[in-house]
Amino acid sequence: MDSEQIDYQSLNYLSTVDHNLCCPICRSPLVDPVYTTCLHTFCSTCINKALERSQTCPVDRTPLQAEDVSPAPIMIANLVNELAVLCPNSELGCTFTCARYLVEAHLSHDCEFVYMKCRECGDKVLRRDAGRECLHQLEECTHCFQHIKKIDMEAHEKECPGLLGECMHCRLEIERSELKEHEFTCEEATISCSSSSLGCPWSGQRKELSHHQAACPFTFLRPVLQAHAERLTKLELENRTLRKRIEQLTPRINQSNTTEPLSFDEQAYQFLTEQEHMRQDMERLSATLGELEIKQGMLLMNESLRTKEELAGIRAAINGIRMQIHWLLTVRVHGTEHRHVVGGGAGTPSNSAGPSHPAEHSASRRLSDNFGQGVKL
Amino acid sequence: MSSGSLRRITKELTELNENPPSGVTACPISDSDLYKWNVTLTAPKGSLYYGGVFHLNLTLPSEYPFKPPTLNFTTKIYHPNVSNDDKGSMCLGILRAENWKPSCKILAVLEMARGLLLEPNVDDAVETNIADQYKNDRAGFEKTVKQWIKNHAKEK
Ligand SMILES: [Zn+2]
Ligand SMILES: [Zn+2]
Ligand SMILES: [Zn+2]
Ligand SMILES: [Zn+2]
Ligand SMILES: [Zn+2]
Ligand SMILES: [Zn+2]
Ligand SMILES: [Zn+2]
Repeated sequence: MDSEQIDYQSLNYLSTVDHNLCCPICRSPLVDPVYTTCLHTFCSTCINKALERSQTCPVDRTPLQAEDVSPAPIMIANLVNELAVLCPNSELGCTFTCARYLVEAHLSHDCEFVYMKCRECGDKVLRRDAGRECLHQLEECTHCFQHIKKIDMEAHEKECPGLLGECMHCRLEIERSELKEHEFTCEEATISCSSSSLGCPWSGQRKELSHHQAACPFTFLRPVLQAHAERLTKLELENRTLRKRIEQLTPRINQSNTTEPLSFDEQAYQFLTEQEHMRQDMERLSATLGELEIKQGMLLMNESLRTKEELAGIRAAINGIRMQIHWLLTVRVHGTEHRHVVGGGAGTPSNSAGPSHPAEHSASRRLSDNFGQGVKL
Repeated sequence: MSSGSLRRITKELTELNENPPSGVTACPISDSDLYKWNVTLTAPKGSLYYGGVFHLNLTLPSEYPFKPPTLNFTTKIYHPNVSNDDKGSMCLGILRAENWKPSCKILAVLEMARGLLLEPNVDDAVETNIADQYKNDRAGFEKTVKQWIKNHAKEK
């Protein structure tokens, strides 16, 4: 056994190791301890790996070079080297324990569970077997007559088909190769009723089966139940096919369902927008109408005002003319009275009111203007 | 050499199983791959995140312990130090490659993560918006935290 192959970091220690003796990187007890200028201790392989990646201390991140690392004080090395460990072959069966520094010697000289080269054929063999004759030669199994290497015979005997085995039900000793077959006929093996598929809950030893079946209602009804079961499977199959069909059809129905309301929505939307347009048109129209009405009212009023004025003017003119006619008539009557000396009482007030001079003429017309307006009012 | 890292991980796992930290459960997803862990954090009492249960993935690099592990929240969490994306990564302090120390244990990483539930580190935030809200609008921050816990971090 090569000493370099010992993986110290995977050794199992007899007791828990003080964490002060463990490497902060691998968390195992220090192997080949070294310490740094910042006074931290590591396994030499661990700190070398760490420095390959980062030139800082793995504990406090102070800058660190390979030359800042030196072997730890001998006391620390002794403390970890004297820790008790299990032999690395403990899983193979070695129960040896020793101080860690002695493991190498144990493996290279004493451990029974170290593989060595066979002296005769060069194959692998444990040290405990190495002293005897070569174990790699074939040997005939006395039970099954197979040819097995001597070294593997121990393992073979556990499964040799020629060896007797015990039936777990009837305790009968028979050859292993026949044990499986025996199981199918063993009188004491636990089996369930042949009608268990139809629902019979019975289970018991094979020798009691015939007794049970004589009274088993499931076995009695077997033909009927079986027919039912067949029908059921047929129906199930049909059901499955139908379900598949439905699944195929449903998406199609869904599609047609979704497209129709969509078009309906669109139509409704169109209608609504159209209606909205119309409503806006209507509003605009009624607004124009109102404007027009106001404009027309104004025009009408202007027109009627002018007409009214004109009318008043005409009326005044007529009044003037009437007065002139009246005056002329009066003048003419007075002229005849003067000539005939016959007085007319009816003429006197008109005379006093009526203008006798042309200067008074315009004033009287203005008066009559006012008068005309008063009449109108 | 990966057997060294595997050995250390196994040791740390044994330690964690023997002395489980409070409010933290952590174990590898499968026995065959010790480099991926499921982590569950419950926030300490007095934390804004109290009442929430947070699931995380812890991934150990093959160069562990020479490279830092990574932590990702799989439960959505509103936190200045957790990236608000589908990765939910927490990257600060000892988890940064330049700050990582190989002597640091998984337990310390987990305890740091749980500590951040108690007191977010706004000076080292990935989500600066959330950090600003934490500093200036604590009530609003708290409200969102609670809302997210209600929506994402409640155990059924
Ligand atoms: Zn140091
Ligand atoms: Zn180490
Ligand atoms: Zn041994
Ligand atoms: Zn041999
Ligand atoms: Zn045999
Ligand atoms: Zn039997
Ligand atoms: Zn039966």
